Amino acid sequence: MLEAVGFEAVQIGPPVDTFAGAGGEDKARAYAVFGYPFLARKPR
Amino acid sequence: MTDDVTTQTPVDRQALRAEVQTKYREVAEMPDADFHFHTGRFLARHLGYDPAWLEPLPDPAVESFAGIANPFALRHLEAGERVVDVGSGAGFDTFVAAGQVGSEGAVVGIDMTPEMLAKSRRNAELVGADNVTFRDGYVEEMPLDDGWADVVISNGVFNLCPDKKAAFDEVFRVLTPGGHLQFGDIANNNPVPPEAMQDIDLWTG
Repeated sequence: MLEAVGFEAVQIGPPVDTFAGAGGEDKARAYAVFGYPFLARKPR
Repeated sequence: MTDDVTTQTPVDRQALRAEVQTKYREVAEMPDADFHFHTGRFLARHLGYDPAWLEPLPDPAVESFAGIANPFALRHLEAGERVVDVGSGAGFDTFVAAGQVGSEGAVVGIDMTPEMLAKSRRNAELVGADNVTFRDGYVEEMPLDDGWADVVISNGVFNLCPDKKAAFDEVFRVLTPGGHLQFGDIANNNPVPPEAMQDIDLWTG
């Protein structure tokens, strides 16, 4: 969707196990949810 | 990876906003309560924030942090940049950004939860962040002129927007040409059933 909106040079960084040890860990495991850093640029 | 950030979902926007406001009012007022996510300084360390930015901040500016990933992991902000922090909460990422852009830069934090906004403004005084302001607003309707921002940052906010395209369209509008969007958010690697996508409780908990 980022490209569809018009962004370019989209990058996704390495996953982080955001919910490890938290109350929501079971749900996160069920859907294999991780946190990611995203980067995109609006064209010049 | 199933790109959770880019999925249209059939939940009522107003109902979801109310649910999110309730949850984050609790995070503002009771940051050490038992949530489904980590909070505060422990979470920031867990997500890999540079200690040089994290450690100098006082506890009230960090304790209600509830981000998903590190929006500064792929790009460090440059001195003098104008930054918008969408869903700024109590201001943790805003203050990290303010330190990176320095006194020649400016950071505007936008949040829809009154208790978070009030706390972020108190924190700005506590931190002494002269290059920071906080405004009431929504991701899809930011109180900013077209092209104002060099950078838009966010953390764990787009996954709470039922219309992702409207949110990203608004980010695109406020960015200057060549500007960057850098954010942390969740993505799921297993598909979420349609009935779960319609369960508003699952969005925030």
